[in-house]
Amino acid sequence: MSIVSRRMLLAGSAAVLAAPRVALAQGEKPKVTVISQWSAGSDGLAITTLGKRFEQEGGVWEHNPVPGFTTEMMNKLRAQIIAGDPPAVSQLKGPEIAAWSKVGAVVDLDAQVKDAGYEAVVPVELARLSKPYGAWIALPIQAYRINTLFVSKKAADRVGVSKLPVTWAEFNAIAERMKAAGITPVANGGLKWDDGMKWEIALCGVSPDAYRAAVMQLDDKALKGPEVLAAFGQLRKLSEWSDPGAPGQHYSTFLARFMNGEMGMLLMGGWAQGVFKHAGFQPSDYLIGPAPQDDGKVAFDLNSDEFIFWQKKEPEYREGQKLLAKIVMAKDFGPMYCAITGSIPVRTDTDLSTEGFSDGQREAARAMAEAVQANRVVLSLAHNMAQPNQIAAAMIDVLTEYVHDGRISPEEGQKRLAAAVDNAR
Amino acid sequence: MSWRDRWGRVLPHLAIWPPIVISCGYVLGFSAWTIWVSFTRSTLMPDYAWAGLRNYSSMLATNNWRIACVNLLIYGACFVVFAMTIGLLLAVLIDQRIRAENIYRAIFLYPLAVSFVVTGTVWGWLLNPSIGVQKLMHDLGWTSFRFEWLIDPNMAIYAVVIAGVWQAAGFAMALLLAGLRSVDVDLLKAAQIDGAGPVRTYLRVIFPAIGPVLIAVVVMLLQFAIKTYDLVAALTGGGPGLSSTLPTLVIYDFMFQRGELARGSAAAVMLLGSLAIVLVPYGLYRLWRRRAASAHA
Amino acid sequence: MRMPSPVSRAAIHAVLIACAAFFLAPLTVVALNSLRSAEDIARAGVIGLPHALMWGNFSGTWSGLCIAEHCSGIRPYMWNSMRMTIPATALSTLLGALNGYSLSLWRFRGDSLVFGIMTLGVFLPEQMRLVPWAIVLSDLGLFNTITGLALIHIVQGLSFATLFCRNYYLSIPQDLLKAARIDGAGYFRIFWRIVLPLSPPILIVTVIWQFTGIWNEYLFGVTFSTGDHQPITAALIALSARLSDAPQYGEQSAAVLLAAAPTLLVYLFGGRYFLRGLTAGALK
Repeated sequence: MSIVSRRMLLAGSAAVLAAPRVALAQGEKPKVTVISQWSAGSDGLAITTLGKRFEQEGGVWEHNPVPGFTTEMMNKLRAQIIAGDPPAVSQLKGPEIAAWSKVGAVVDLDAQVKDAGYEAVVPVELARLSKPYGAWIALPIQAYRINTLFVSKKAADRVGVSKLPVTWAEFNAIAERMKAAGITPVANGGLKWDDGMKWEIALCGVSPDAYRAAVMQLDDKALKGPEVLAAFGQLRKLSEWSDPGAPGQHYSTFLARFMNGEMGMLLMGGWAQGVFKHAGFQPSDYLIGPAPQDDGKVAFDLNSDEFIFWQKKEPEYREGQKLLAKIVMAKDFGPMYCAITGSIPVRTDTDLSTEGFSDGQREAARAMAEAVQANRVVLSLAHNMAQPNQIAAAMIDVLTEYVHDGRISPEEGQKRLAAAVDNAR
Repeated sequence: MSWRDRWGRVLPHLAIWPPIVISCGYVLGFSAWTIWVSFTRSTLMPDYAWAGLRNYSSMLATNNWRIACVNLLIYGACFVVFAMTIGLLLAVLIDQRIRAENIYRAIFLYPLAVSFVVTGTVWGWLLNPSIGVQKLMHDLGWTSFRFEWLIDPNMAIYAVVIAGVWQAAGFAMALLLAGLRSVDVDLLKAAQIDGAGPVRTYLRVIFPAIGPVLIAVVVMLLQFAIKTYDLVAALTGGGPGLSSTLPTLVIYDFMFQRGELARGSAAAVMLLGSLAIVLVPYGLYRLWRRRAASAHA
Repeated sequence: MRMPSPVSRAAIHAVLIACAAFFLAPLTVVALNSLRSAEDIARAGVIGLPHALMWGNFSGTWSGLCIAEHCSGIRPYMWNSMRMTIPATALSTLLGALNGYSLSLWRFRGDSLVFGIMTLGVFLPEQMRLVPWAIVLSDLGLFNTITGLALIHIVQGLSFATLFCRNYYLSIPQDLLKAARIDGAGYFRIFWRIVLPLSPPILIVTVIWQFTGIWNEYLFGVTFSTGDHQPITAALIALSARLSDAPQYGEQSAAVLLAAAPTLLVYLFGGRYFLRGLTAGALK
């Protein structure tokens, strides 16, 4: 970035941050401290690449991935906020952005967002999550489609399937054929979020409107309605078609078997593409497309990661935040970051015909744009987009119990889900 | 009084009191803080607004917590019984003045050196039917062998018992062996003179003599069981579903994953209560024993 | 005890060997896996013999493995753990011995109650200590430092050490102390001349116990340290919690062995003293 535009940026945002400002000392570089859970794999690689780009633009990058999962990262964030030393930037998503912004001071990004004309090119759901109380305080980095279906090419060939099922009925028929041929129809794992995800894909496929009412608005009638019941029924089928050794397993343990045709179909978010690539598999090894939608129209179950910006007193962090915001909002951020992770760029005006992207990503990005137009975007439950963690965790507990206990009937499962929501409300 | 005398008077107090104060302060302070938070409305961060008993009633009504408490009873009982039995067996056998005692002792003690996370992870591999012992048996030809406890909701908690016993039996053995070896030699000689065989000597003389050690071992094992967290988290994650969840997991889940500090603290206080039920009588028992002993002396 | 007959000796050994097999199984599996390749394990299961000895797993893990953006293997984390564990063990043992000494041989009103409270520290679940420690460390300005983490372990270790030492010191004959006091010895003199020379068994038990506990501790290590200051337990979790990767069992096994090596060695060489110290009365 040229010196001129950096000065312009400095001057432009002078009006925004009301606190008394001390300019960057001569020779001091913009700095940023980042906390995330992305320490390895394609996610780790992507954020490392972002770091290199940040340094190329003249900043100092300090990324501290927290080992473990999201909870450990939140723990670290909590501890740092208690200590009065939050990171400049941290990974956060969904309703948690609103919740955490109440316990720590965040940066108002409105001016920068307006300057970049960002809001116009971002899906409205993401914009809403990023500015929970009116001002932009977080920036989305990447988006994923949850309701994606992967079919193993080898398994598909064995049962004579050449294109993806469109409705759940077609899916079930294919699953029966696979079962008869000795293939395990469903290659999902058995972790809690996986179980929750299978249910939400089922419900989204049955009716996105019912999903919106039941999951995002927690409407009691919808929760006790026929669509949710149908979703439970479909979930029971999915759990019976899964590998008996699935409970407690991450889906990646089944990768090898999925690719060589022993397991047939995987209902997973688009990031699985990145995992496949990292494990050395080719796009020609699998078919990819949207998960079954009973009404045949496009629906997009959204998951995304964002960076939230915490207020820091020191000018080098403030400059660093501005620099990072600029990089993230730029049009070339998507091709740089999302090509590595297999995600979809947040900007709907990104050109995906460049080489780094796979057909699967292009198709998903198209689906997202279409769904946004048609207002058929829903937020993921299992990946903590639709509800704050309290409620989401309570619902997922019911779902994971249901998946692993065949004695619970769909009616009973539905009752328990409604009760859990009431209890957690 | 010279400077040296004064200094000599003060210095011991400087050595005695600070560590005691820090230690007691830490225990009392942290417990008090947790109890206080359990009565507040804290969610993501501590928030000291009063909330009465709401958190307690909410936790008691939560399915998670109920399953966890039942699991703790099952796990605690099985863990203590098996660890104790195996530990006692090993201690008695090693006490027979066999050769290679050093090797056996090293073999049985080394699990203590391993962290709980590693134990849970490795046993998770072994007990996994698709990649562990069951697969090995199938590959070796015994295709009807089944060992699917880890993924069976009814048996998952017992899989945790296996891993837990593996880790702690050696510790029980060490304590019991130490106890066996400090039995009064005269008692043994008297039994020998009476013509008692080895079995009777153990049952009638030695075990009663190490009674206090047995109780100490039970208490240590029980508190291990109550505090079990890393092991279950790494082995089953509380699954399949919720079937092997334990109170510590629920506390961690509520406090840190769900951002419900107050409810998690209420659960922690209830867990502390269960610990107190075990420890307070034990503490009083030891106090009574010591008074009795000094009365005899 | 009379020496048992040959038949029963054989029976005893049979049982012991069977138990030993159960106890050794996990270690053997991990050791074998550390020499296998990841593809081999993914295909043939976790229990199996290596086809080719992949010593590369060890060297890779030690100095080449990438955790986050630092590709220097687990060596720096092992060093971090050493830097934290050794001082914390030494300090907590010393202070614990002093505590135990004070509480057992210098009676004052309420000393049993004080001892009870300190012992309770051993039994507090760690989840409820996380947020309070965050508050304390931030107040002391020690957040995110190795010193802060060491402080946590010292204070927590103090409870254990006091528990062990006090019970042990109670068995020191009162006459020795009376004689010393008549001779005019004060607090420190008695500690130095009488108590400390008698302490090695219990000190060894305490040191072994503390070292193992602090070295293997995970929750606080992850939360209160950052980046390349993290202890080895955090690195192990980073290895196994790969979110977008298939599990790398071979490397993980090698890392596990290397990480457990110090504590294993401690128990290997100190096991006998551990037992002796317990016999001498840690938990009478």
